[in-house]
Amino acid sequence: MTNIYAALELGTTRSVLAVAEAKTGEKLKIVRHAEINSSGIRKSQILDIKQASESIKGLIKAIEQSPDNDHDSINIGNAFLVISGQHVKADPYCGSIQVEGSKVTNRDIEEVERACQMMVLPKERETLDIIYQTYGLDALEGISSPKGMSGRMLRLNTLHIHGNSNRINDARTAAAEANLELRDPLFAASCAADAVLTDDEKNEGALVLDLGGGSTSYAVYFDGYLAAANVIGIGGDHISSDIAYAFHTTHAQAEDLKKNEASAIIAPNGSSSARVPIQGSSPLMDARTISRRALDTVVNLRLKELFSIIRHELEYQDLLHRLHKGIILTGGGSALNGIDALIHNELGHPVRIGKPIHIDGLSDIENPESFAAISGALMFAHRNYESKPILSLFKGLFK
Amino acid sequence: MNQDSPIMLIGVGGAGSQIAHGVSRAFGEPMRLILCDTDSVSARDNARFILLGGNRLSGRGSGGDVAQARLAAEDSKHEFNVHLEGVRLAVIVTSLGGGTGGGASLEIIKHLRHLGIPSIIFATLPFSFEGEEKSRRAQGITSMLEEVAGASIFTPLDQLIDNVDNMDEAMRRAVDTIATGVTLFWRMLEKPGYIRLDAERIKKIIAVAGRGKFATISAQGATRANDIIDGFKRSTLLASCNSVKSILLGVLAGEDLRLSEVGSIADGVRETFAPHASFDIATVNDESIFSGRISAVLMLFEANKVKANLDEPISLTNQKRRKRDLSPLSQGPQGRGRFTNVEPTIYNGEDLDVPTFSRRNITLDI
Repeated sequence: MTNIYAALELGTTRSVLAVAEAKTGEKLKIVRHAEINSSGIRKSQILDIKQASESIKGLIKAIEQSPDNDHDSINIGNAFLVISGQHVKADPYCGSIQVEGSKVTNRDIEEVERACQMMVLPKERETLDIIYQTYGLDALEGISSPKGMSGRMLRLNTLHIHGNSNRINDARTAAAEANLELRDPLFAASCAADAVLTDDEKNEGALVLDLGGGSTSYAVYFDGYLAAANVIGIGGDHISSDIAYAFHTTHAQAEDLKKNEASAIIAPNGSSSARVPIQGSSPLMDARTISRRALDTVVNLRLKELFSIIRHELEYQDLLHRLHKGIILTGGGSALNGIDALIHNELGHPVRIGKPIHIDGLSDIENPESFAAISGALMFAHRNYESKPILSLFKGLFK
Repeated sequence: MNQDSPIMLIGVGGAGSQIAHGVSRAFGEPMRLILCDTDSVSARDNARFILLGGNRLSGRGSGGDVAQARLAAEDSKHEFNVHLEGVRLAVIVTSLGGGTGGGASLEIIKHLRHLGIPSIIFATLPFSFEGEEKSRRAQGITSMLEEVAGASIFTPLDQLIDNVDNMDEAMRRAVDTIATGVTLFWRMLEKPGYIRLDAERIKKIIAVAGRGKFATISAQGATRANDIIDGFKRSTLLASCNSVKSILLGVLAGEDLRLSEVGSIADGVRETFAPHASFDIATVNDESIFSGRISAVLMLFEANKVKANLDEPISLTNQKRRKRDLSPLSQGPQGRGRFTNVEPTIYNGEDLDVPTFSRRNITLDI
C-alpha cells in the first residue's frame, strides 16, 4: 500500500511545500519539494493574504511540474501546515481526578486525559497539540503507566501547545485562495525535533533550536517526552534588518552580508582591520567597504541577546542542566557562520546541526536542516494517518 | 469571564478565594478571575481554579507551612500563563497566616513580575486571638511580599471588626468588608466615569508605591460628602500611615453626583492625609448601584523603601530613541524599521524589534 502526504511551511523568508510517499515496509520518503522566497509574511505573520496566496500557488505549480523518476504527475489538494511565530505558546497543565476504586483502571486514565483536554483556553486561541508527559498518583511522581497501581488521586501532567486562531486562519484563507485545503496545524519546533532527534537524545535530554527567519522556536526533550517549548519573536530577519540599519544597506544586501560575510563570533582583535566590500545600492550610495568587526558585532549582539533569553527561560524552568545530549540546530539560521560556537558559549552545551534522520529523499538538498520542520510534519501525517489513507483527499493520484 | 479586560483578579488560598469569589458576586458581571489554592476544596463553580502543587500536596493543603506553599506555587506557576494573555495588571487578594496565602502569593507575584505584569496585593493579617505563631507567620511574609509586589495593602482583621463575639460571623464580616473594598476598586478600574483611571496609570502609581492602607466609606443625604471625609478621618484602617507619598481616591455615585462634592472630598482627603503627596482620582457613575449615595475608596501609599528595582526600560529606550529618530539613519516610527506594522516582540519591557546595538547604545566603528 502507498500513502502520500503533503506539508506546507509558510516562513518569513522562504516557503516550502513537500510531498512524501510511504510504501509498506519502507522509510517515509520525500519525493518532491519546492521552495520560494516568501512575500507578504513578516515575523511569521501573514501581512498580505493575496501575496501569501500567490506564494502557495507558485509552490503548488512547482511541485506539480517538477519531474521525478517514479511519478509522472501529481495534483495537491491538501497539506498539513507547519506554523511558528511568537503567538504560539506551550503551557503546562495538570489534570487530576479521584480514582474510583482502589486501583487505577483504564477508565480512570481516560477520565484524567479528558480532564486535561478540558483546559479552557482564552478566546482566539486554538489548541495545536496536547503532550501527555507523566502521571502522578498521590505522592508518587514520574509514573509512565499508572494502570493497576493503588492510590487515591491520579494526575496527568501535560503540555498544551496553542496558537492564535486568527493567525492560523489567515494561513487557511491564503491557502484556500490557492485551492489548497490545510489540515492540522503543527508546531514547527516539535516537528523539527521529531525529524532530527534520536530516541536516545529524547530520553537523555536535548534542546532543539529551530532558527527561523521571523522567529526562533525551541523544544526541550527529556525522559522521552516534550518537556517545554516556546517561540521567541526574533529570527534571521532581525539580523538582516540590524545590518541594514547599521550599515545603510538595502535589505537584500544585508541578507547577502549575513549569509556570506558575517559571523556570530566577533573577529579577534588581530583582524580588526579586515574590510568587507558592499556594492553601491543607489546613485547616492556608492560602493564602499565596512569593518568586518563592526558587522560581526551587530550580528553577535543580536544573537547573544536571543540566546540569553532562551538561557534565562531554560534556567527558570530548571531545564538547562538536563540537556545531556546537547543542542541540535535546525532551520535556515543554523547555516550562519559561527552560530554553533556562540550557542555553545551561551548555553554551555555541545551543539550539532540537525539533519532529518527518519526520512529519505533529502540527499540532494544542500541544507537539509532547513527541511527539519517540514520533514517532521510529514512524519506526523504518516504516523497518525497510516491506517487511514489520505490518497482520496488529493485531487489527483500518482500514476 | 471577561477575557478582554487588562486587569485580572487572583484569589490565593482558602480565604483569598472566598474574598475573590465575594468580589465576583458583588461585581455582578463577568470578570477576569482565577482562584488558586493548595487545597482542592477552594474550587468553586463559575471560576477558573488552579490547584497549586497538586503533584506535591495532592490537593490536601499546605498545612500552614509557608515553605510548602511556596514550593507548590513554584510547581504550578506556569499554569497561570495560559490565562494571562493581554493582562496588564493583577490584583491579588489573600489572607496571611495560614501558609498558602502568603507563601503562594509570593511566588505567584514573582512569576507575574517575571512576565512583566505588575501586581497590587490586598492581604488580611490574622486576628490577634488566632495566636502569636500565626501572627508571626503573617508578619514574616509581609516584607517579602512588599519587595516583589507593585503595591501591598495589609489589613489587620482586628481593625475590620468591632463587637463581634461569634468567630464565624467575624470571619464572614471581615471577608465581606475586604470584598466590598476590592469591588469598589475594581469598579473604579472597569467602569470608569467622567474621571478615568486605567490600568496603565495604576501601573505607574504602584511602580513607585510602597506599603499602603485602604478604607471605604459610604454616605447618603445632603451632607454625604462631608460625612465621607469624616469617615476617613475616623477610620482605624488609615491610622498610623506615615509619610504618605501617593493618594488614590475613587468616588462612586449615582447620576446625582455633583462636581462640588467630588471637589470637597478630594480637598478634604488631601488636607487630612498629605497635602503634598501625589494625588489621583477616579469617578464611577452608576445609578443602578449607587442611587442617592456616594461610596468612596481611599488608598494611601507610603514611599517605596524596600522594593526591588521596578524600572521601566521601555520608557528609557523611547527617550533615547526619539533623539536617534532625527538622524538620517532613522528606521521610522520608534526605530522598528521593517517590523513597524507587525506585533512587537517585547521582553522585560524592551522592544526587541529595535536593533540590539542601538538599544544598548553601542557605537560601531564602521
